[in-house]
Amino acid sequence: MHEQLGEHTIWQLPVLGSVHGDTIVTTWLVMAVSLAFFAWIGASYRSAYVTRRQTVVEGAVNYIADLATSTLGEKGEPFVPFFIALFVFIFLMNQFGILPFKALGLPFGGSPTADLNTTVPLALVVFFLTWIVGFRELGFKALGHLVQPFWWLLPINLIEQVTRPATLAARLFFNILVGELLFIIIANIVEAHVTVGPVNLSLSVAIVPFFIQFFNLFVGTVQAFVFTLLAIVYLSLAIADDH
Amino acid sequence: MSSEALVAAFTLLSFGIIVAAVAFGSAIGDGIVASKAVEAIARQPEARPNIFTFLFLGVGVLEAFPIIGLGLAFYMLLVVVGVPNGLMQHFAH
Repeated sequence: MHEQLGEHTIWQLPVLGSVHGDTIVTTWLVMAVSLAFFAWIGASYRSAYVTRRQTVVEGAVNYIADLATSTLGEKGEPFVPFFIALFVFIFLMNQFGILPFKALGLPFGGSPTADLNTTVPLALVVFFLTWIVGFRELGFKALGHLVQPFWWLLPINLIEQVTRPATLAARLFFNILVGELLFIIIANIVEAHVTVGPVNLSLSVAIVPFFIQFFNLFVGTVQAFVFTLLAIVYLSLAIADDH
Repeated sequence: MSSEALVAAFTLLSFGIIVAAVAFGSAIGDGIVASKAVEAIARQPEARPNIFTFLFLGVGVLEAFPIIGLGLAFYMLLVVVGVPNGLMQHFAH
């Protein structure tokens, strides 16, 4: 296998230094695909009839919107587009690893979420969103969440504030990374032709990548959903004023 | 026995222990989540969509830990010690 785990195309940019070029190009591709997708959906609203694609997407959008408004209440309405964008963006980035760009020798490909440089900013976006919205809704009473329910729990609450974005980023990163890692390992085993007596053990695992790709499809969807839902929950905790 | 072989052997052993431990813990956790969800649906069938949402949330959060454990174990195995390369050379003819 020429593909190595955690190996990225390095770009040397004038101000930013060395960046992971393949992650950036794949993220741009995902953005273009999602923009084209929503333009395609939006175009169907110009016709007088309700189209099938409109109904399907409205179902999915309504599901996330219901989740957000049932958790956040009326205050959650303005944030529904953000959560839908977050879900669609992470979902598409997770599923982009299926397309074999890297295997075809192109300088991009793989899931951008299998790179900490993608997941940490996403988690930081959610972190700053919770604090900024908390300050906007409650003013300096938002700091009161740090001394809940007793003032001497302040250190634990501070640790919690740090671990929330850290676990949000690490959970997404490791889930997608291990999906790709399992694929590479199985490919290594198949290529190595491990034989025990007359039996070629490597060929017996040649079917496994098929199931791993199913697993990746499931994990990518669930992790995008979990990321979005946890963002909703953190935001609802930040704007709750029941203390 | 050379020290390299010793390191490789103990890395394989610790890999097995890590994977077994995280699989054990997450299997119990998944079982608890699923059984409570079934109980809740049996008690209140009309709350099924809501329960499903939080079932997937719980499973998604829970599944992260074995996968993080597996990722760290594989990192140790492949990058730190480079075990399978040596292993494959032994087996490959």
